[in-house]
Amino acid sequence: MYIQSATKEFIQELIANNKREFGRTLNEYRNIEIKKGVIEHAEGSAQVTFGNTKVLAGVKITVGEPMHDKPNEGNLITGAELLPMASAEYEMGPPSPEAIEVARVIDRGIRAAGIIDTAALFIEEGKVWDIFVDIYVLNYDGNLFDAGTMAATVALLSARMPKLEGDKVISEGVTDKLKTNGIITSCTFAKASGKIFIDPDGNEEKFMDSRITIANDGKEIRAMQKGLAGGFTLPELNEAVEISFEKHNELKSLMERALGE
Amino acid sequence: MAGGEKPELIINGKRLDGRGPADLRPIKIEPNVVKNAAGSAYVEWGNNKIIAAVHGPKEALPKHTSDPEKAVIKCRYMMAPFSSLEGHGRTGPNRRSIEISKVTKEVFENVVMLELFPGTEIDIYVEVLQGDGGTRAAGITAAAVAMALSGIPMRDVPYAVSAGKIGEMVVLDLNMIEDNYSDADMPVAVKPLTNEALLLQMDGSFTKEQFKEAMNLIIESGKEIHQAQEEAIKRPYKEIMDKYEK
Amino acid sequence: MQRIVIPGEKLSDTAVRMHNTLVHQGKTYSTIVGLYNDEKNILIPMEGLWHPAYGDTVVGVIEEDRLNTYNVNLNSPYKGLLISKFVQEQLNKGDLVEASVKELDKTQTVVLMRPRKLTGGKVFMITPSKVPRVLGKGNNMIKELTTSTKCNIIVGNNGVVWIKGGNMQLAMDAILRIQEEAHTSGLTDRIKEMLSKG
Repeated sequence: MYIQSATKEFIQELIANNKREFGRTLNEYRNIEIKKGVIEHAEGSAQVTFGNTKVLAGVKITVGEPMHDKPNEGNLITGAELLPMASAEYEMGPPSPEAIEVARVIDRGIRAAGIIDTAALFIEEGKVWDIFVDIYVLNYDGNLFDAGTMAATVALLSARMPKLEGDKVISEGVTDKLKTNGIITSCTFAKASGKIFIDPDGNEEKFMDSRITIANDGKEIRAMQKGLAGGFTLPELNEAVEISFEKHNELKSLMERALGE
Repeated sequence: MAGGEKPELIINGKRLDGRGPADLRPIKIEPNVVKNAAGSAYVEWGNNKIIAAVHGPKEALPKHTSDPEKAVIKCRYMMAPFSSLEGHGRTGPNRRSIEISKVTKEVFENVVMLELFPGTEIDIYVEVLQGDGGTRAAGITAAAVAMALSGIPMRDVPYAVSAGKIGEMVVLDLNMIEDNYSDADMPVAVKPLTNEALLLQMDGSFTKEQFKEAMNLIIESGKEIHQAQEEAIKRPYKEIMDKYEK
Repeated sequence: MQRIVIPGEKLSDTAVRMHNTLVHQGKTYSTIVGLYNDEKNILIPMEGLWHPAYGDTVVGVIEEDRLNTYNVNLNSPYKGLLISKFVQEQLNKGDLVEASVKELDKTQTVVLMRPRKLTGGKVFMITPSKVPRVLGKGNNMIKELTTSTKCNIIVGNNGVVWIKGGNMQLAMDAILRIQEEAHTSGLTDRIKEMLSKG
């Protein structure tokens, strides 16, 4: 029960001619807007829009128990919900494989870049801080990986750190910040008509042959995920990596501006 | 009701946030916030932040859920895991959210002209991004705006609000802390044209007089809530008209 | 005077027979968001849904290829149905088609006739109640759009619009603007100006 707003032939022909809808070039992101601190109850939050894609990330910090194999470390737990309101193709029910993939790829980038030092979340034996990052997709129009990574990262980087008074977690009114290190950006590329292009929208995702997400922290690649049945050649991969580092600075400055406001 | 020591909720006749007993929290409604929905609205009601969206009417699936006489409504009310000041809410439906989804659905089964769309389903989604008491009422209020904006014919645009009791004082629109320690809480959804109650739940204790007073407060406040709804529904069209009609 | 009304809003203190209204205790109320002209007693829906009628043009997507029929997604509460023996060309799942409405049967299925496969191009949705405005009086608006943009344009009564070739972006922007500003006066002139600027 859903009619795609472009035909395959139309998208493929555009891409074959190095063109995209709304006059975008192959290596151009859509208009990006970032708003931090939109949910006061959450320790950190951010709403990010990439064109018509709209995601909201909320960070909750609570007291929990360490994992058995890492008794001296706190936990970072990332989830994603593709809300049924966000697309006629999403359904009510348990998280889809698609939602789980989005959450896990975002989690890997943030974790690998060491944004959160889980060892610093240790409180005392058997007691650690749990950091929950939940990504809510409010409207879908492609590229949830990059928008979600950006929202989650800005939410973490702007989060307050609750205080522990006895057994009570005090969050409201605290001025301490959650300790974070560095910044991570994610660049997702799609391939169609033999061309590689960045930030696929909903129509492009529908008709792309393959997809690759590359997250980096400005110095090193931190997470990657290739999706769909199509493949990428080595030169294509190297080119995508190259561009992901160029784009890092552009995305980072948008995030820093939002964080500074 | 929460444990712990009960805080003083009314000081010199004023509530903790400075409201009098019959005062609503500020309500702001923004129309059309979810592009892929047929209709949607975002409401900020005090510290509540809620998105409601409507999809459909569309073919009812699975097939056995459809009704050859009329459209069926499916409703999902959900609290985001980060919506509460305390703790992290595990995602997924629980008994509370399933009940609220059901009573919300029943409100719209009254006002939506389901008979126009036999064999179809209409989906209502209420996502609580931040909750501070009275989320089901705020959700219904927002969903009614979303439904009207979707173009699906309705007999009326319902609103909802809760009334309750702090000590012996009947108060309107309880926030979270008031709700936690109140002596009664009663969310009600109302059809403005007839002042019929389309949703009514209550727990705690009311005398017959207090119940009447609570209902009066709700109906009285309905003018303000309904006006906010009306303004939000008309805003997108009015903005364009104001630009060109003069 | 024209004014915007919402469901449940009173239109008249007397009972008036009008589409998209109800009468309660002798007074007339709107059941839709619409533009109401109280002198002429006309209520125009802002977001009206499509009610299939004989001869309507529709654009849809083949959703299922069955033994003797095709199911067609019409982006509406109604399912479209094509009977295979009346289909001249090979149709596959996912193909875009233009067709005419033969009838709406008792199971709320829209039986379609004269299908034509649409290849390439772009599809977008508009509010079905705005379709007459996009077509214009005597199809004047759509003629203007086609001439100025050199696009192939098919406007389905179901609100699904297909465009191909020419200046598609301009055609789409103009059609979306007609939808958005359908309830204002002087629209035809503004669209003409927009098209002439390219």
